[in-house]
Amino acid sequence: MRVLIVEDERRLAENIARSLRETAGYAVDIAHDGEDGLYMAQTNPYDLLLLDLMLPKIDGLALLKRLRGDGGEVPVMVLTARDEKGSIVALLNAGADDYLAKPFDLGELLARAKALIRRGKGQSDAVLKVGDIEIDTSALAVRRKGELIVLTAMEYRVLEYLAHRPGAVVSKTELLEHLYDFNWERFSNVIEVYISGLRRKLEDSTGSKVIHTLRGQGYMLRA
Amino acid sequence: MAKTSIQRRLLVTIVVAQLLLTVGLVDVAVFVTRNHLRDAFDVALQGRAMSIVALVRYGESDPHKLLFESGLVPPPLDPHAPDLYEVFANDHTLIARSPNWPEKQGVMPPREDRWIASYVINGIPYRALRREHIPVLDHEEKGGPPDYLTVTYAAPVSPVITAVRQVLTYIAIGSIFLLAISGGFLIWALRRSLRPLSELANSAASISPSNWNLYPPEEARDTLELEPLTHAMTSMLAGLHRAFTQQREFLANAAHELKTPVAILKSTLQSLMQRPRSADEYRAGLEEALDDMARLEKLLHSMLRLARAEQWAAGSLSRDLAHVDVAVTCEAAIERVHAVADQRGIAIDFTPNGSMRLFADPDDLELVWSNLLENAIRFSPDRATVRIKMRSDNGRGYVEVADDGPGIPAAELPHIFERFHRGDASRTRNTGGYGLGLAISKALVEAYGGTIEPKSRQGEGTRMVVTLPA
Repeated sequence: MRVLIVEDERRLAENIARSLRETAGYAVDIAHDGEDGLYMAQTNPYDLLLLDLMLPKIDGLALLKRLRGDGGEVPVMVLTARDEKGSIVALLNAGADDYLAKPFDLGELLARAKALIRRGKGQSDAVLKVGDIEIDTSALAVRRKGELIVLTAMEYRVLEYLAHRPGAVVSKTELLEHLYDFNWERFSNVIEVYISGLRRKLEDSTGSKVIHTLRGQGYMLRA
Repeated sequence: MAKTSIQRRLLVTIVVAQLLLTVGLVDVAVFVTRNHLRDAFDVALQGRAMSIVALVRYGESDPHKLLFESGLVPPPLDPHAPDLYEVFANDHTLIARSPNWPEKQGVMPPREDRWIASYVINGIPYRALRREHIPVLDHEEKGGPPDYLTVTYAAPVSPVITAVRQVLTYIAIGSIFLLAISGGFLIWALRRSLRPLSELANSAASISPSNWNLYPPEEARDTLELEPLTHAMTSMLAGLHRAFTQQREFLANAAHELKTPVAILKSTLQSLMQRPRSADEYRAGLEEALDDMARLEKLLHSMLRLARAEQWAAGSLSRDLAHVDVAVTCEAAIERVHAVADQRGIAIDFTPNGSMRLFADPDDLELVWSNLLENAIRFSPDRATVRIKMRSDNGRGYVEVADDGPGIPAAELPHIFERFHRGDASRTRNTGGYGLGLAISKALVEAYGGTIEPKSRQGEGTRMVVTLPA
């Protein structure tokens, strides 16, 4: 999963990014003003946007309106120091999906971020199920037929992304774009490594195929 | 301490005054009545004495002998206090004497010049009359020179005393009755005229932090004596409301602006605790937290400084001032920002023209100059020069801080003195300010009756000109 944080307080942005990377395994980009933020949100396929309101150049509300006006559908969570009813209503009406009042709890931010990403992909349960595979997104644990399967961090991220869209074909580029921050091109040849690792761990025990390769198109997770 | 009641005090004063007046009036009335009755009594006494004299006549057998027809004396009205009489002839022979005449005591006082006097006989007050040289009534029948008589007559004065007592009783009862009526009326009138006061108190009691308006009831507004009170209350409330609103706004602002630094500190600590870390990582995390803490502290300090400057400008804070050499404060401010400037190779050029003294707190001036210098350094390119000039002219002092930075866009100029205003990210990058410096500077300069004016155009640098009355 790839998240964009638009926040002019550098320390706050860094802390949130570190937390998302360390505990959820997300790829995180940071923008420090509204202009950069809007540009990045429009040019990269993010799974979640964390948006501060008081931003230089373009404020958060204007950014949100322009993003939604251009058809951007990324889930947006607003981080605000204001918590009056009126401004929250305006935010939600402008297309925000959720908001958190500062000073917030990082744990709560993480839980809400995960829920927003799941719902953005049509899932509502924190445990994703594809056939007999269960992926617990809050504990980052994978089970097949109730048996715990130990994955590396990157293998987990690939599997989680595929599990969010079961039965759909996901290209290698899409995987790269969503699993790495803006330097993703450097990693272009590693996806095959993770896929084969996943296949070995998930499929060897039972024999049935779950990760399908569509030559020239991408990968698909299907039971 | 016992409470004093205006109502009770007025009531007591007026009733006591009325009582004294009544007592005086009763005294006069009794005096007049008694004199009048006594005069009438004296006339009656004289008449009775004359009727006793009329009972003395010459004997039929001996025309030279005087006889008294005691059988014709009228019976006494009160047998316990009968009238007394005594009649003498010219040659001091006793002609008649009432049976109960007190021989030992006598009746008339020794003083000869008084022909009438009061006397107490057998414990009963009497009034006595003496007439001398009265000719015997039928002397013409006798022929020759008349014989003369001296009569003493005394009667008890109890009828007069009774009458006076009666008058006194009537007046006293009437007065008490009138006093009671007027007291009642007084209580009613006092309550009635004090009512606007309690109504005013009622409307004052409804004042609260959510309702600052005093609506004095019509009766209170129409009462002349309450006017100063209503006026004082209204202006006091307005002052309190202003101060209260100011404090509340400051608190709301502070709470709002503290949210971001607190969020930073909290996120630093929480991300540090998200998973077990090495000692070095913890150390680095705690150092970050301390940094965040320092920023928070700086913000708090700035906010309090601003609040104090504004309070002082509003006149609600007093302080000690001294004559300050402005050049010295400029040098102190330069010293303060020197390290930051050095880091970026920025030179600070100070040109004092003449000397300038100001009645001020040197810390305030130093803070204003260092705020302006910090901003100038912040927006200057590396290795540039920041200029600070000082001159005095026509009783006014000017201090100017200029930089060769990108200048302030015209659209932003009106907002630069607003609290928590921060310029564009491209210009404030890595500066870590909270946007209070200029707000504090403005509040301080205005507290000294001066002005602060930005002169800037985009791309041409910025000059901040402070004008102070010297």
